[in-house]
Amino acid sequence: MTVSKNSGNLVEHLLAGDRRAAARLITMVENETDDHHEIMRRIYPNTGHAMILGVTGAAGVGKSSLTDHVIGKLREQGKTVGVVLVDPSSPFTGGAFLGDRIRLQRHARDEGVFIRSMASRGYLGGLSRATYDVIRIIEAMGRDVIIVETLGAGQDEIDVIHIAQTCLLVVTPGMGDDIQAMKAGLMEVAHIVVLNKADLEGTDTCLRHLQATMDVARFDEGAWVPRIVATVSVASKREHIQGLDELMAAIAEHQEYLHKNEAIDRVKFQRIEQELGLIFKDALQKLVLKGLKGTGKKKKYIQKIMEGKSDPYSVVEEVMKTYILSREERQT
Amino acid sequence: MSKKRKKRIKVLITKVGLDGHDRGAKVIASLLKEAGMEVIYLGMYQTPEGIVKTAMDEDVDVIGVSYLSGEHLVFTPKIVEEMRKNNLDDVLLIAGGTFPVEDIPTMEEMGIDRVFRAGTLSGEIMEYINKNVRES
Amino acid sequence: MDEARKGKKTSQREVDWDNYLKAYYEKPASFKSWSGYDLKDIYTPRDRVKEDYHRNVADAGTYPFTRGIHQNMFRGRLWTKREVVGIGSPEDTHARLRYLFEHGGSGLNTIADVTYEMGLDADHPWAVNEVGLTGVNITSIKDMETLTKDIPLDKVSWSLITASTAASVTMAQYVAVAENGGYEPAILRGSIQNDPIHFRYCGFRPACPLDLSIKLGADVMEYCTRRLPKWYYTTVNMYDLREQGITAPQEVAFGFGIAMCYIDELIRRGLDIDEFAPRFTFYVSCHIDLFEEVAKIRAARRMWAKLMKEKYGAKHPKSMQFRFAVHTAGCSLVPQQPLNNIVRIAYEALAAVLAGVQSLHCCSYDEPMCLPTEEAHLQALRTQQILAYETGVTNVADPLGGSYYVETLTDELEEESWKIMKQVEELGGMEEAIRTEWLDRQFEAEAVKRQKELDGGEKLVVGVNLFTTEQEKETPLGIQRVSEQSARKQIEDVRNLKRNRDMAKLSDAIKRLRDDAGEGKNVIPAMVQATQAFGTTGELLGIVREVFGYPYDPMETVESPFG
Repeated sequence: MTVSKNSGNLVEHLLAGDRRAAARLITMVENETDDHHEIMRRIYPNTGHAMILGVTGAAGVGKSSLTDHVIGKLREQGKTVGVVLVDPSSPFTGGAFLGDRIRLQRHARDEGVFIRSMASRGYLGGLSRATYDVIRIIEAMGRDVIIVETLGAGQDEIDVIHIAQTCLLVVTPGMGDDIQAMKAGLMEVAHIVVLNKADLEGTDTCLRHLQATMDVARFDEGAWVPRIVATVSVASKREHIQGLDELMAAIAEHQEYLHKNEAIDRVKFQRIEQELGLIFKDALQKLVLKGLKGTGKKKKYIQKIMEGKSDPYSVVEEVMKTYILSREERQT
Repeated sequence: MSKKRKKRIKVLITKVGLDGHDRGAKVIASLLKEAGMEVIYLGMYQTPEGIVKTAMDEDVDVIGVSYLSGEHLVFTPKIVEEMRKNNLDDVLLIAGGTFPVEDIPTMEEMGIDRVFRAGTLSGEIMEYINKNVRES
Repeated sequence: MDEARKGKKTSQREVDWDNYLKAYYEKPASFKSWSGYDLKDIYTPRDRVKEDYHRNVADAGTYPFTRGIHQNMFRGRLWTKREVVGIGSPEDTHARLRYLFEHGGSGLNTIADVTYEMGLDADHPWAVNEVGLTGVNITSIKDMETLTKDIPLDKVSWSLITASTAASVTMAQYVAVAENGGYEPAILRGSIQNDPIHFRYCGFRPACPLDLSIKLGADVMEYCTRRLPKWYYTTVNMYDLREQGITAPQEVAFGFGIAMCYIDELIRRGLDIDEFAPRFTFYVSCHIDLFEEVAKIRAARRMWAKLMKEKYGAKHPKSMQFRFAVHTAGCSLVPQQPLNNIVRIAYEALAAVLAGVQSLHCCSYDEPMCLPTEEAHLQALRTQQILAYETGVTNVADPLGGSYYVETLTDELEEESWKIMKQVEELGGMEEAIRTEWLDRQFEAEAVKRQKELDGGEKLVVGVNLFTTEQEKETPLGIQRVSEQSARKQIEDVRNLKRNRDMAKLSDAIKRLRDDAGEGKNVIPAMVQATQAFGTTGELLGIVREVFGYPYDPMETVESPFG
């Protein structure tokens, strides 16, 4: 069965669960082809029902190996899984090494797992509008759970909290990640803090620090208190892998909490709010930049500012007036 | 469908079977990234099915296979067959490694688009990919 | 890059006379050694004022052995001309062994294929496609019998190249066959590569987890020390490390680091350094920069002597001798204009001999393309023979000794190697460097550097970025194909063997192996017994792996048949 490149066709196949269609549509959405908006419009109504797990943390903490295990556990539960792995693109060449997949290859032939690697393409911290769209596409294809894995260490970079219902922050002992994370206030932002490589020295100290941070933080009545789970996701011997069942239990607990308290609605609200914001930003930028670029005005404005004859705020006000007012004028 | 901005070439670099010589594959992956491509590096012990499945889900533009243990004639037909079964005919299939020059036409007949022997300068590979990768 | 040197097709009709003139006045592109050392235009006695000949250089055969481990070097005995052989089935390999032997090869040398090194039987699902492609798979005692058929094991010196944890099984298989053939193990001469720690970097990580590598590697070493006094139980392989693209001092530093892991383990087991060190050997690369390679090896000899004496307290001179075999550098060869490789190999072999090698394998010119045909294999052997019998380089020990240049370079390489070893110490030792993947990153970084040097013309290779020509249409001395039939027959034989052997006898032997492994005993004796009961490579290794907490099958596809 040949899947044609016609996007309408592709969307149909996607909604019927076709992987190839999903793969192609994701590419089109990443590359912002002409019918990108039309595609998203058609897909959107079929999304919003999957469980979304976020996995974030600094490089080297073992996110991928954890994701690998979580996928395995979910599959044991009979759930279908979609995975989005976001890696940073080089700010200089735009290239990217999407190497995390290597750790998930044992799922490569499992029909119930769909894995897609994405380069951040300029968005440090990982979550561009494209990532939101890609997750919607995978949802529309039909997956029970979607795992989004991103690089994140600072508060700005924990973007994934906006999209994930349950957010896992992965740290390791003795590398200062725990301290960094605590400083950045991430402890309160993540739903589950995973202390991976818990077989290393310094684990006990780290656990104590984490617990202490949790104890001092203020949580509202009935609010979710972040769980701390110690895991060992990589070991040369199977028997040394630990903490996975506890992790799955914590995830299930949080999901239950969300659904029981209808906090799930707030989460869905936030996700859409984020999307809206990003799409707006994108659209406005395109609109304005298109116009400025075409007439060479951008360069002229910048030159003006450099010569001290203007400032960025004035420029923006002027441009906004021109573009938005002129539309209003056109309507009347 | 027109080509819009932000289009990056996505390349899958992989080995297949038991062969463990990965120096070349890793170097090429690194250099392709430096040249601005998005590289998915699968490493060792991949199967033809796994490679093609991944290529499909990741919608790659190029599959690059590294062969250094005489296994090129064994696995190439299997990989090409998987690609055909899954309609990946527009994906570029290239190979690198150690082979006698006589096997190159054979590999091309089997379905490899271009074979790069050891000793090839990396610019040649970049140029080939940029020139021959599919539109869209 | 200079136009005169850029790829100009020799099929051009017009000669560019301006370029010809430029080529006439051409200067070298760089004044650095291959590993990056800045070199002076000449070295003089002034560079050697601080030299202490007797302490630091000394005659050949005298501590610290810089000039050679034997006083009379090649006058006493030529190096062993050991060409590596591994083609298809044990029968095919056996045939090629005889061929080389009949043409003057002085040592037998067989290499395992990827399936065997991974510890898989020929009938394993991952093995069936690749059996025999680049070496020989020895699944059972029958295969080893075929390989050694009609060869008097008491007269020959056999080098078994199995590097991974499977070397433990190889040793057991060889001893089993020897015992069955009526030979006393104590008279057996030869060597086994047995360096599983390094082999993880050659793509055999599933078969070579660090703890198992040390355990099985040391088991073979200990077993041989006690029972095979004429056997060299390890050839710590720095050659493969160099093939990753690293420099000469890194090769020595990392190789020594790995060697020390084994030595520390043997000492921990209660062996005395002088008991086992005399049989410790190395596998070294000889790359294309002749003087650097000679200097590297001289430096290695001096360093090893010092290490053995000062760090390990060795007393016997034999313990302090850096005994080594050379494999000419495969990564220096290219498929473009393949016959050029014969020349490269000759220069590299020359370096090995000038450096005082004990045993030499010359690559065949087709190394970057395919397995060698008889002609190609013979050519490699002839390279050694011309060196040995025509050039006269064997007449004098350490002929380059005393060269102001070589002595200086020796010192510099030694200093750099010590620095790198110190760096590894500061990381927490070699095991830490391996576990944290620090070593992987060194290899990756150097490999990218080498490629960029080639791409940018910093390093020149004729036929690649210099004097390129149209791609040739055929491989000059033919291609050696591996018979698919042979492979299928071997696989079928293995299946038959598994169906027809005495399972009761085997189960007893397997139980003993499992118990010995569990009690921390040396597993080789049990492996010998299990081999004689027709236990296979995958089974023997699998049982030990399970005891150590690893999956029975390195590829995690097959289950243990022993429950």
